[in-house]
Amino acid sequence: MTGALLRDWAERGTGFALPVVVALAVSAVVLLAIGENPVTTFGLILSESFGSARRIASTLSAATPLLFTAVATAVCFRAGVFNVGVEGAFLIGGLAAVVAGFSLPADLGWALVPLCLTIAAAFGAAWLWLPGWLLARLEVDEVVSTLMLNFIAAAITATLVNGIFLSRQSGNNVTPPVHAAAELSRLMPPATLHSGFLIGLAVLAAYAVWTRHTPAGVEGAWVGLNRRFARVVGVSVPRTIITAMLLSGVVAGLGGAAQGLGQLHRFSDGFSAGYGFTGMAVALLGRNRPVGMLLGAVLFGALASAGTTIQLFSDIPLDLVNIIQGIVMIFAVVELGRFRLGIKPKVQG
Amino acid sequence: MTKIALGASDIWKSYGPVQANRGLGLSVAPGEIHAIVGENGAGKSTLMRILQGVEHPDRGHVIVADAAVRFAGPADALALGIGMVHQEFMLAPDLTLLENLILGDEPVRGGRGALARIDWDAARAQGDALADRIGIAVDWNRRAGSAPVHILQFVEIIRLLRRGTRILILDEPTAVLAPQQVGELFALLRRIRAEGTTILFISHKIREVMALADRVTVIRQGAAVFSAVLARTTAEEIAAQIVDGAPVPRAAAARRPAGSAVLTVAHLSAPAVEKSRPLHDISFTIHAGEILGLAGVAGNGQVELMQALFGLIPASGSVKLTGAEIAGLGPDRRRAAGIGYISADRRQEGLALDAAVEENVVAGSQRIAPIGRSWRLGRRALRRVALDRLHRLAVRFGHPGDPVRSLSGGNQQRVVLAREIAAMPPLLLVSQPTRGVDLNGIAAIHAILQEYRDAGGAVLLASEELDELQALSDRIIVLADGRIAGELAADADRREIGRLMVLEGAT
Repeated sequence: MTGALLRDWAERGTGFALPVVVALAVSAVVLLAIGENPVTTFGLILSESFGSARRIASTLSAATPLLFTAVATAVCFRAGVFNVGVEGAFLIGGLAAVVAGFSLPADLGWALVPLCLTIAAAFGAAWLWLPGWLLARLEVDEVVSTLMLNFIAAAITATLVNGIFLSRQSGNNVTPPVHAAAELSRLMPPATLHSGFLIGLAVLAAYAVWTRHTPAGVEGAWVGLNRRFARVVGVSVPRTIITAMLLSGVVAGLGGAAQGLGQLHRFSDGFSAGYGFTGMAVALLGRNRPVGMLLGAVLFGALASAGTTIQLFSDIPLDLVNIIQGIVMIFAVVELGRFRLGIKPKVQG
Repeated sequence: MTKIALGASDIWKSYGPVQANRGLGLSVAPGEIHAIVGENGAGKSTLMRILQGVEHPDRGHVIVADAAVRFAGPADALALGIGMVHQEFMLAPDLTLLENLILGDEPVRGGRGALARIDWDAARAQGDALADRIGIAVDWNRRAGSAPVHILQFVEIIRLLRRGTRILILDEPTAVLAPQQVGELFALLRRIRAEGTTILFISHKIREVMALADRVTVIRQGAAVFSAVLARTTAEEIAAQIVDGAPVPRAAAARRPAGSAVLTVAHLSAPAVEKSRPLHDISFTIHAGEILGLAGVAGNGQVELMQALFGLIPASGSVKLTGAEIAGLGPDRRRAAGIGYISADRRQEGLALDAAVEENVVAGSQRIAPIGRSWRLGRRALRRVALDRLHRLAVRFGHPGDPVRSLSGGNQQRVVLAREIAAMPPLLLVSQPTRGVDLNGIAAIHAILQEYRDAGGAVLLASEELDELQALSDRIIVLADGRIAGELAADADRREIGRLMVLEGAT
């Protein structure tokens, strides 16, 4: 028993570590090519992201939106639904939470935050319900529909931010700030780390429970592994697909709310720095597993937070951090391909 | 003069911990029909893959025309004239038979590369000449997807001959054919042999080996344990070699009077699935304590009937389960109403191969106490229920959390049976229960089905193994071209069953 368990963890560990190691190796080559010392550079990245309490806070702060978007992606991926629309739901949920946060009466007090979160979750869910329904009932390809919905979400939020929700004070593509009562508390001021990170951890824990300890979660995995099997054992495939999309929307919406209420306190153009897509890489790297995704989110958070400061202290371009991120993503996907090949039917004598 | 057209010398091959071939040797003389027999899992498929250049042996080598060769890939084997007809035909269903014949090696008339024009007249002439040589007629304009399965098989053979195949390997070529068509195939193979082609023929039906082969090699546990000229051996000796001297286990039939009607089907019609036949006006009844056998050549509506009865495809007509109408219900409701479903496609439909053994064996019960309690799933209760079900059918597995893929075919099928029988539903729909299962596993699965029947269960059993159908069933109905061609007693003459199987122009 323990043998099988150990093997399982070892496999997951290499699945996570290999893309990271390869990305670092390639980056080292790039650094050598531009005449920099890889060891000192990686040391700098490490100290910039984990060197002090403030820097760790900044890393976790950058990891916060990724926790949400990774879980939102994993909920669908494990059910075999290739939802790439988390980015759109993140934007929609974020705008909904911020608008609620400045337009609801301020004297609601402590009730304001849960209200805003609920509204954001509802908007996120509604946003992804549509491609879920289209896929489940009409077999409309979800990759195409969710990808297109991302553009629509970006356009809608941009229009609203420059239109009816435009702040009268600042006037350049931002909404008014949310009420102070609607802000998520800062955990380590002056660092931006906010209680949205704790909500993210709670969502991750809820995901862990859902995948193994609820009938719906287990059914989701079966639908992902083999739809015909799921149908034969009495699982409704359409309902499972729609449930996965709704949950994904809820989580993505909450992520947008955490970003809006905790990080920015308002909605602006460029609200999401591609968190939906980075979250997808985190989900792939973490194999849809809670621990893997936590590590993945922290890794990408570290790269993001180190990247912004590193160019202040060295000649290394910010692009290097983007290169590392990109290579990790590529190899996370390559690993997935190998994993798929590995489960080809074994040849029977 | 060549002594060995195709052979193998001391072949060793392992897949991880599984030793598929252990020092296997083979020698096929030019111009002979050589049968290879053995249980599932004996190592036949691995040997074929090595002979085709798809796999490399860990040790040993392949012999072609008396010389040891080493294939870099399948192309090398093809270049030496080795061609194989697989069980799944490698034809593009949307192309015509003629297009399939020349695909990848088109005769051209003028032009080069992308600008080359195909010489259709030459293609047709080549096809006709080859068909004529082996004594069959082919309608070359027919779409492959709509052509009868035995014609597809002929086209596969012709295609290989056209590509210069001198050594033809056939993997269980009769599995998809009706008895009459088997005779036709054998006549064709004899004509090809007469023209000098060497034929290697894999089978697990001793009767066919006796009828066709010049020489037989028995493979057991990865090694060739017996080889003889057909004239100097007997069916009994071959059978004994296949199972290592042990008598072939066969379920003994103990028939009892059947009880009340469990399933009553009236005027059921349903559309075809994939390349098969639609169902027309099917009516029959199964009683408690009865196994009704469903005979027929593959693709004559068996899959459709099972899927329609389980609510997987839409159907018209009436289906009553213990008196209650269930037509129109989905598979979830039919399962709840008391139907167990054992799919012919164990790997794609019966199991989620990468899910844990325990999850596969409890699937369907995940929302029912003690496993499902409101929104929660009790992992401990799940394991307890799973272990109980697995032990009751003596499934051999490592850890309940291992993927079910890691089990042998027979144990995988027992997992499916353990799941479907657990709640003792009044009706079981069983398709090809012993496909890909070794002989001992077959006996165990037969015993499970009989025990279920003796406990008052009703079974609809579809099988391509007539032996199995006749051993287990109380009555047999024959499906041909999507209709019931007739009903017979289980001990009816197999020639009569065969006659019904090809009735009414069925393929």
